[in-house]
Amino acid sequence: MTATSAPEAPLRQRSRSRLRRIESRQALGFISPALVGLTVFTIAPVFLSIVMSLYDWPAWGTRSFVGLGNYVDLFTSHPDFWPALRNSAIFTLGFVPLNLAVSLSLALLLAPRIKGRAAFRVLFFIPVVTPMVANVLVWKMLLQPNGLFNGISTSWFGIELPSFLNHPQWAMVMVIVMSVWQGMGYNMLIFCAALEQLPEPVLEAARIDGAKGWRMFTKITLPLLSPAIFFTTVMTMITSMQVFAQPQLLTGGGPGNATLPIVMFIYDQAFTFQKMGLAAAAAWILFAIIIGLTALQFSAQKRWVHYEV
Amino acid sequence: MKITRSLAALAAAGSAVALAACGTPSGGSGGNGGDADGDATSIVWDMWAGSESDIAALEEQLAIAQEENPDLDISLQHAPWNDYFTKLTTNLASGNVACVTSMNGQRLSGYHEAFLPLGEEELEIAGIDPADFTDGAMDIMSYDGTLYGVPYDVAAMLLYYNKDHFAEAGVDEPQAGWTFDDFDATLEGLGADGTAFGMGMGEFQWMSLPIARAGVQPVDESGALDLTNPAFVEASQWYASIAADGYGSIPPSASDTGWGEQEYQAGNVAMAVDGTWNAVSYLNNEAGFEAGMVDLPSADGERLGLVLGSGYGISADCEDPEAALQVLGSLVGEAAQDQIASSGRSYPARVDSQPLYFESLDEGVRDDVQAAFEAVFTGLEGQRSTDDWAQVNEAIQPDLVTVYTGQSTISDVLEQTQQQFGE
Repeated sequence: MTATSAPEAPLRQRSRSRLRRIESRQALGFISPALVGLTVFTIAPVFLSIVMSLYDWPAWGTRSFVGLGNYVDLFTSHPDFWPALRNSAIFTLGFVPLNLAVSLSLALLLAPRIKGRAAFRVLFFIPVVTPMVANVLVWKMLLQPNGLFNGISTSWFGIELPSFLNHPQWAMVMVIVMSVWQGMGYNMLIFCAALEQLPEPVLEAARIDGAKGWRMFTKITLPLLSPAIFFTTVMTMITSMQVFAQPQLLTGGGPGNATLPIVMFIYDQAFTFQKMGLAAAAAWILFAIIIGLTALQFSAQKRWVHYEV
Repeated sequence: MKITRSLAALAAAGSAVALAACGTPSGGSGGNGGDADGDATSIVWDMWAGSESDIAALEEQLAIAQEENPDLDISLQHAPWNDYFTKLTTNLASGNVACVTSMNGQRLSGYHEAFLPLGEEELEIAGIDPADFTDGAMDIMSYDGTLYGVPYDVAAMLLYYNKDHFAEAGVDEPQAGWTFDDFDATLEGLGADGTAFGMGMGEFQWMSLPIARAGVQPVDESGALDLTNPAFVEASQWYASIAADGYGSIPPSASDTGWGEQEYQAGNVAMAVDGTWNAVSYLNNEAGFEAGMVDLPSADGERLGLVLGSGYGISADCEDPEAALQVLGSLVGEAAQDQIASSGRSYPARVDSQPLYFESLDEGVRDDVQAAFEAVFTGLEGQRSTDDWAQVNEAIQPDLVTVYTGQSTISDVLEQTQQQFGE
């Protein structure tokens, strides 16, 4: 036994390592489509966009290296860049709290086992799944001077409403309102799910201790919901920094540049003005801002997010 | 090591497949002409087309060109108008431009480098005599004094009016040769309830009246941007006052880029400025009103109108320009031009084909249209533009709403745009 087992061990080892080699080659074969996809559609474009942002890069024609010139240009001399950043900030500050408040309220309203709860959930979720273009068309018809809102207001109350979409402040308000209406269903579903997962023993203990109503909500429910609130805040903030379709279709970024957000600015620079380099630089600035804000939220979560262990 | 190498090979193969897929034109083989293996040289013709009927009309022209050039293999590649220029830009970036590429005269300035300059020799190969075309038509496809293509249609801006609105308000319909004083009087007669005139948002839909009134173009003779020319600014202020004084229908949003024309088409306003290319669709409008048309008013006996239109050019890197020129010659030749004219789709650039356009119209409107076209196609001047003219207009457009609603003044907008884009 000892005589045979001695040479057998290295043989088994060798065959195992051969097997491993074959397996890893097979594995490579299986993952290569994904790897190729990742390389061609993600890694290469990301790398290219960094290079692009350092060039004066027209859509076609001669390119020239400008170093950080595009970034300097954006911050110091471009007439629309700061307004675009400002607009994105205003949109985010308006949209995120409003969206969370509305969707949380809806979820709380639908949390008790009321009749037709599922139907309501579907109703509130419909705007999320409807194409944005259709949503915007409907809102445009509501908001135009000869639209529904103004029609009702003038014929019933004799009050002429402002022309919402070409008024510099109202236009932004309406972009936010429309976005909240469009996006509330998604966060509402997340809150609904979180509310159903609330630990019954904790709630019961609180009830026995005499907690109810507002106190129950602020001291027990909200802290228990904080992981869901954290998740929705982060995700909603990211999507709101990337807002594009609503202002593009509803207000065209106007009047002037009053509702031009940063992503639309990037789009315009790249595909209307054909300044790919400038657009890439602005996109990286947006990326840095989003990463920064998200990191800030993650570091702040220790103070207010309570995970049930 | 082995793994990295095979990975690299895989990635390279994968990206080659992906890139090849991206580069293939949708409508035919190879974009660059010369097909070494095939018997016939293949030439791709790139054109915009929005609907089935557009495509069918192009196929008919293609058939004419194919018949005239049996030794060539001509294929059509098309994209809707809005995507056409994006796609063209992408093709330019990848060096994959169709040999015969369609171009809109107003956008030529930004793309002229992509086209082969056409001299006498090239025109001769194509069999084209510029004298056969409407006066000034060659200006449409020229930039900075060089010809880059041959127009297939000519267009000019007209003032369209709603005869029913005029009859209702008891106001005389405008007559050819009318003046800006007549225009002001007409506005007054129609009333200041925001339905007299549809304010324009598109480049020529808003700019044509100021240009006609000022007698100057916003680009000077040296080709420099001249938005702050006092005469042009003054005329633009007059235009903005149409909205300020309550006569104009104001776009409710900056995203309504075709506002004036849409409002006219819907029968909501009495007048709007639009190109001759929409004459037929206005005459057959769905709102059911009776449409009329007249040339733009004149100031001090003079009216500056611009000749607009589109044409076909040869791409600068076409491998077989001679074959492409022959196709170009057929596409703007008599047979193809007659076909365009008799379909009523656009007003052909070739003079001999033009009467067919009027014959294609209903008898009831034929004389009116012919009179308006004859008036508007006289004394036109080629449009001057800068390299970034399309961008200049894109920059002005969202600000027009602020001007019409009184949040800013047109002089400020022109001043800022001049600063941003002027040399």
